[in-house]
Amino acid sequence: MADTDFKTWQCRTCGYLYDEAEGDPTEGLAPGTRWADIPDDWVCPLCGTPKSDFDMVEL
Amino acid sequence: MRIAQDIAETIIDPKAYAVGTPIDDAFRVLRKEAPFAIAEPTGVDPFWVVTKFDDIQLIERQNDLFHNGDRSAVLTTIEADKMVREMMGGSPHLVRSLVQMDNPDHMAYRRLTQAWFLPQNIKKLEPRIREIARSFLDRMAAFGTECDFARDVAFLYPLHVIMEILGVPESDEPKMLKLTQELFGAADPELSRSGDAAQGTEAGVNSIAETVGEFIEYFNAITEDRRANPRDDVSSVIANGQINGEPLDHFAAMSYYIIAATAGHDTTSNTTAEGLWALCNHQDELAKLKADPSLINGHIEESIRWTTAVKHFMRTATEDTEVAGQKVAKGDWLMLCYQSGNRDEDHFDDPFAYKVDRTPNKHVAFGYGAHVCLGQHLARMEMRILWEELLPRLESVELNGTPKRMESSFVCGPKSVPIRFKMN
Ligand code: HEM
Repeated sequence: MADTDFKTWQCRTCGYLYDEAEGDPTEGLAPGTRWADIPDDWVCPLCGTPKSDFDMVEL
Repeated sequence: MRIAQDIAETIIDPKAYAVGTPIDDAFRVLRKEAPFAIAEPTGVDPFWVVTKFDDIQLIERQNDLFHNGDRSAVLTTIEADKMVREMMGGSPHLVRSLVQMDNPDHMAYRRLTQAWFLPQNIKKLEPRIREIARSFLDRMAAFGTECDFARDVAFLYPLHVIMEILGVPESDEPKMLKLTQELFGAADPELSRSGDAAQGTEAGVNSIAETVGEFIEYFNAITEDRRANPRDDVSSVIANGQINGEPLDHFAAMSYYIIAATAGHDTTSNTTAEGLWALCNHQDELAKLKADPSLINGHIEESIRWTTAVKHFMRTATEDTEVAGQKVAKGDWLMLCYQSGNRDEDHFDDPFAYKVDRTPNKHVAFGYGAHVCLGQHLARMEMRILWEELLPRLESVELNGTPKRMESSFVCGPKSVPIRFKMN
């Protein structure tokens, strides 16, 4: 299943999770939006940490 | 631009925070007429008052341009500042915790415990926290039909949780509660150490320093124990942690315990107590919540916004810059007014309404940026568990007298919420 390829990324400062499968519609990111497709100047919606300070995580 | 003197005096007045409405009124006027302006209350160095949600986030995001540690990180008087600096060899701080640090130290010290506080780690505490919540609710039920929800439940439960996390034995909890309330309630005649509301004066600084001294003595013993017998608790992480290959500097380690031991419960207690108070006053919202338990997270988020238990932190500009079209000079002091940000009409619809289903509900009650609350996931989890356990048992609840908040312009929430209730 293609879904199994979806990854989760976590903000190093506050722990916010971005799950590619779910996206974040309140941020204008539709479900399925890949991490790589999010603009580089995007910041964590909870604490403002830059995209470069997120880690890929296995939960 | 300077703000009107009566408003400048109000927004630093612990009694006004206890009442609440004078603060909301003052900030409502400021957001409209002077959203970013200078206050010069008597006896206090001038500071910028940051009232708008977006400006608070903008400043917090630029943590190299706006430092926590260059001047006092919380509001203080000229007299108290002078005393602290004399006592601390020139430093404006009585402790050196994450709150007073800037980079590179801040990041290094924060990384030490960051992973411990992430949702995926604290999940393992859920069963134990649920047990603790149930035991406090059983006690509440045993009161019959009346209790003081702040004193009998809300203040004790988060205290017990954070003390278990730090590994402090239950027998020492009353001492920890007393010391925390002395720190945060320094301006409240009922809670302060000297009992005379002496915040901002020489006597006030002395009693806060004594409180810090007692904390340090206590946590010295814990550090030694955890070095000898490490456990799976935060105290062991602090006691055995290394920064750049060296153990933590002693004062910073002590400060780490103090911030975790204090920030870790009063705020959560205040939010829980104020949350129930809000439901008593908004029975329609309570009915909604009882009918649809999936709204619990919405209620929690709204109670966090509504209470905004931390009223402010201060920042200091490290360079000349501009905010909201105004020139801010290097060294200027700024007050981030979280309560105002969380009532900002440009950010929230109907900000003075309590809505358990408010969406979106992005607030600044946990701050923002590099210093954003380390314990936010723990706080939310504790509150979720409590409400999940309480709501199904609660048949009715109403106020049984007038609630009272503590007098403080820093961490502020109810010290008494008398209720009449029916529980099964
Ligand atoms: C509803 C409960 C809570 C509220 C409203 C709250 C609020 C805040 C706020 C406003 C800040 C400052 C953020 C900033 O400067 O941007 C903060 C920082 C902090 N909080 Fe909380 N807090 C809560 C619960 C907790 C808990 C349970 C802990 C547990 C240990 C905790 C530990 C800390 C620490 C260590 C910091 C300093 C972080 C830093 O400077 O890097 N807080 N909190």
